[in-house]
Amino acid sequence: MKKVVVHPERCVGCMQCMIACATAHSQTKNLFSATLEDPLPRPRVHVGAGLYGEGFPNRCRHCDPAPCMFACLPGAIYRDWETDTVLIDPDKCINCASCAMACPFGVIRYHEDASAPLKKTVAVKCDNCLERQNQGLIPACVEVCKSRALTFEDPSDAMKRKTNEVAQSLSSDTSRIEIAPGFTLLNTIKRTQVELKIEN
Amino acid sequence: MKYVIIGNGVAGIQAAETIRQFDSEGSITMIGDETFPPYCRPMISLALEGSVDQDKLHIRSAGFYDDLNIRPVLGKRVTGIDVDNKKVLIQEKSARPSLQASSTIMDLICKLLSIFGGDPGTEPRRGSETGFEFDKLLIATGADPRPVKATGLNLKNIFYMRTEVHVRQMLEILPGAKNALVLGGGLVGFKAAYGLLCRGLHVTMLIRSDYPLSMQVDEKAGRMILDQLSEHGLEVKVGVEVTGFEGIKKVERANLSDKTAIACDMVVVGKGVLPALSFVPRDKIQADLGILVDQHMETNIPGIFAAGDVAQSVDIARKISWVNAIWPEAVEQGRIAGMNMAGRQTAYKGSLSRNVIRIFDLDVMTAGLVNPPSDPSYEVVSSDNLRLNIYRKLVFRNDKLAGFVMVNAIEQGGILMSLIKNEIPVKIPKAAMLEPSFNYNQLMM
Repeated sequence: MKKVVVHPERCVGCMQCMIACATAHSQTKNLFSATLEDPLPRPRVHVGAGLYGEGFPNRCRHCDPAPCMFACLPGAIYRDWETDTVLIDPDKCINCASCAMACPFGVIRYHEDASAPLKKTVAVKCDNCLERQNQGLIPACVEVCKSRALTFEDPSDAMKRKTNEVAQSLSSDTSRIEIAPGFTLLNTIKRTQVELKIEN
Repeated sequence: MKYVIIGNGVAGIQAAETIRQFDSEGSITMIGDETFPPYCRPMISLALEGSVDQDKLHIRSAGFYDDLNIRPVLGKRVTGIDVDNKKVLIQEKSARPSLQASSTIMDLICKLLSIFGGDPGTEPRRGSETGFEFDKLLIATGADPRPVKATGLNLKNIFYMRTEVHVRQMLEILPGAKNALVLGGGLVGFKAAYGLLCRGLHVTMLIRSDYPLSMQVDEKAGRMILDQLSEHGLEVKVGVEVTGFEGIKKVERANLSDKTAIACDMVVVGKGVLPALSFVPRDKIQADLGILVDQHMETNIPGIFAAGDVAQSVDIARKISWVNAIWPEAVEQGRIAGMNMAGRQTAYKGSLSRNVIRIFDLDVMTAGLVNPPSDPSYEVVSSDNLRLNIYRKLVFRNDKLAGFVMVNAIEQGGILMSLIKNEIPVKIPKAAMLEPSFNYNQLMM
């Protein structure tokens, strides 16, 4: 089964995945009309700045076992076994934030949402774009990502590729090969700027 | 394999479900005091405040016991454990301590149960004891409300807040009530006060310390909570206790230790809980405040386990043996006990106190050790942002996080929880973790 795979070393922090995610979970599915909706659609993937301004698309890992699921008081969080996706039932959610205390990645947010009853604040997180996948589309964050920091593939394929890349980069015969050369340069510059306190 | 589980709270349920995952053949008997399908205890306060319907509290269907092929023995309290002969003893006549002189719903259900159970119910078989043999036993009896010492406790409309029945009884008399008195500023007292404020009652709260939730939060957060509640009409009296209640049949007045009196038509006692282990033979099974368990949730007697509010284990943040009587620990301990009972060796890291509370405009999250002893190995960093009404305090023991308090902007609290629980050394500047912009990425160096 294909899944969203995150490659943090390739993220440039452009936040296009956030816009695409919010749009994909809006009522009208169109960026321009989505900005006029009430409640205003919000992203379920979060690009937080690292200590040196590096980007990282932080999204739900759909853990198994999922700590949020065990912490949920009304039993609103469940696993859809067919798609291996952890979902929140907005009708059952009581907005108690027990899941915020349980999620070790900090990916759950609390707000009104098009999928929830009107004016009800609920816990919201990544749903693997199941609605889009049912229409034959890939998750919105992957579709929009230009730097291939987010890919949609079989995890074992991604694992194999990564193993090869790491093996190559560690090979003593060759000069050290960077896994993502351009991105490493970008992040090194960002880091140096912070360390030397260079203002742009 | 014969499994017996005492207690049908969440620890017992989780254990039963986990045992069934690994052992579909063994017989499971669950002995429970409460006769309803399993429900979510922390949510009873939401039923009191009216944000959740009473019938939405259930977390398992009525067919739970049948579906998992469990033999339920409900409405009964265990009277003893025969450790040598591996037997759990119960009294045939259900005895249930209650503050209310008569709890009609409970009586009705007990009567119904006895009819379905084939017991004609004419002569209660007082004193006859029945035994349940076990190979593996789980004690998951939870905790009972800590009693209060005062005269006139037999008057009507004096409640504990621990079970669904308690809240149901409170809701019945709410329409006629105007003035409520809440004893205790801990979590239960605090949630009772909040619920009754939401219902439009005038609420007076008596607390021993200077601010509510003194076990959970530090003084600063405690005062923010107090201000918030006072703004919405809560009256707080500090450093006084109740000596007695007066009234004709129903409670009308409470006399306080400072010789004053308060008029009230309902009282909620929220003085914390005590592990329910009066039936445990302490000469055989080691117990302190709770039943002592090892990292497999097993007591000193092989084959006898304990989990949930009744169990006492190592507290990860405090580094001492401690009872953390909270829902998420009961869930985890129940699962781990179940795995070990079914023969799958699984270790438990230890417990950690934690809580998240949303009241009016305030979100408060807290975990671990929030008021550290004055010791050079502890470091406290804190910040407040008055504009955003955010307060954060982090307690470090050497280079590891040992506790925190967050007021508002609590979404990243789970990351901090995980740092405490997994005892991960913090290598980034501590000040960065106080920023509202703190996120998971910053730990990935």
